[in-house]
Amino acid sequence: MQNIPKNMFEPAAANAGDAEKISKKSLSLWKDAMLRFRSNKLAMVGLIIIVLIILMAIFAPMFSRYDYSTTNLLNADKPPSKDHWFGTDDLGRDIFVRTWVGARISIFIGVAAAVLDLLIGVIWGSISGFRGGRTDEIMMRIADILWAVPSLLMVILLMVVLPKGLFTIIIAMTITGWINMARIVRGQVLQLKNQEYVLASQTLGAKTSRLLFKHIVPNAMGSILVTMTLTVPTAIFTEAFLSYLGLGVPAPLASWGTMASDGLPALTYYPWRLFFPAGFICITMFGFNVVGDGLRDALDPKLRK
Amino acid sequence: MTEKLLEIKHLKQHFVTPRGTVKAVDDLSFDIYKGETLGLVGESGCGKSTTGRSIIRLYEATDGEVLFNGENVHGRKSRKKLLEFNRKMQMIFQDPYASLNPRMTVADIIAEGLDIHKLAKTKKERMQRVHELLETVGLNKEHANRYPHEFSGGQRQRIGIARALAVDPEFIIADEPISALDVSIQAQVVNLMKELQKEKGLTYLFIAHDLSMVKYISDRIGVMYFGKLVELAPADELYENPLHPYTKSLLSAIPLPDPDYERNRVRQKYDPSVHQLKDGETMEFREVKPGHFVMCTEAEFKAFS
Repeated sequence: MQNIPKNMFEPAAANAGDAEKISKKSLSLWKDAMLRFRSNKLAMVGLIIIVLIILMAIFAPMFSRYDYSTTNLLNADKPPSKDHWFGTDDLGRDIFVRTWVGARISIFIGVAAAVLDLLIGVIWGSISGFRGGRTDEIMMRIADILWAVPSLLMVILLMVVLPKGLFTIIIAMTITGWINMARIVRGQVLQLKNQEYVLASQTLGAKTSRLLFKHIVPNAMGSILVTMTLTVPTAIFTEAFLSYLGLGVPAPLASWGTMASDGLPALTYYPWRLFFPAGFICITMFGFNVVGDGLRDALDPKLRK
Repeated sequence: MTEKLLEIKHLKQHFVTPRGTVKAVDDLSFDIYKGETLGLVGESGCGKSTTGRSIIRLYEATDGEVLFNGENVHGRKSRKKLLEFNRKMQMIFQDPYASLNPRMTVADIIAEGLDIHKLAKTKKERMQRVHELLETVGLNKEHANRYPHEFSGGQRQRIGIARALAVDPEFIIADEPISALDVSIQAQVVNLMKELQKEKGLTYLFIAHDLSMVKYISDRIGVMYFGKLVELAPADELYENPLHPYTKSLLSAIPLPDPDYERNRVRQKYDPSVHQLKDGETMEFREVKPGHFVMCTEAEFKAFS
């Protein structure tokens, strides 16, 4: 090592610009989070499950020989076979097709409830948190009052007043569902509105709408997204629960909830009528919950390396 | 140096909390001359930052006036008038990690002022201006499309400076711009600020608690204690001839890398009872020498001058 002659060394070219150079590839926080999400195996399994269920819900009924509402009493209560993969129900309808039609409705209810919660919750929560003071006080007390009324009672009352159907169920679930989202958004806004980048924008003369939608909401997006993902399975489950009370979607429409509740009396003789819809409720809830947890971990800035 | 850019008259900022009123800034009056740097020092929680934020209207002042070029900044103003003030007065923040929105690219952060004030007509012009500003603060053009988390503290602080410069301000409030940086980078940022001052004829209000750094950058220095200004003098005068006991106490706390000096350094404590206030007597801010103001009693005033 000592024998290297000095004349073999050459000074590196000094370039002022190089000192500030960053050689790492540019990554936005979203891309960074996605990388971390992808390395989370359980969450990826959840995501694959959700995608598969959605694809099946869209395409399976289209390509099936059977129709979800056509009855065939000669073929009632058949166990799973080559013709009917999941068996048939008491009116001879193919459970495989009905499961995927039910998936459409269950997932639609879940997603629609989550989106409505998102809209109302984000607007309510961000106004409440940003304005603060008396506005905040009044808005949060209204939410508290709604929260204090047993939601089931409210849902049942609404179902009595409104016509029976899909949209009534969604509205009934949103009427209390948005409060959770509003509280989370408010908490985030309270925390973010005193951040120096928000103050900096304010000193530049930004309007409230700019502060909210350019600075605060994008930074609260992580928690909003996680809450939304976790709302979907809750809504699916609530719908199933309402079906047991006879408040589900009207026949011949099928949701996983109504199918499970129809299948329950026949549990001892024809267990597949309950097992398939109930199984899919479980799998879907598992998928959304795992994805929600994965998102939470991926978006948590404290876990950034 | 004789033209007053900013006159602060009896500025008060009181916060009402459940445990009573906090007088963060209490009856503050001083002037800032065009092209100078006024340093503001004092212990944590004495109201330095609040003063800065009240001047720029981040807080609505409880009482008092802030005149910028003879015009009051506070009070009811049209949006147009406010935007005008926002362009002339800018702020550099303390924490370079919190003062840049993590979801925006550097280009968008720097161009925020351009967007709000519609200073760039085309996208090309906007980008060009961003590149100019990046070069002004010694960063690469290629940095424009990166995100704040990819930069070091010193680089981020320079991005913050570039954002403030984007609207061509006359007056910049620097709220402890270097206290979150390590020492080698502090000098870099302070020198950049000095250069910019020379180039663009900026006026600074430099808030800090590092006395040596303040002496280096300031023309005049104000010392704050519990929401009040206790002494205001040209930088050299304040260091050579401190009059107020609190200023003496502060100066006696500066460590020097000299073991002989350190062994003999006596740290003086400030005890407000030394003023020997008579009943009903209040301290007043008096000019004892041209340009040298001290908060003192009648008796002290006679002794000083």
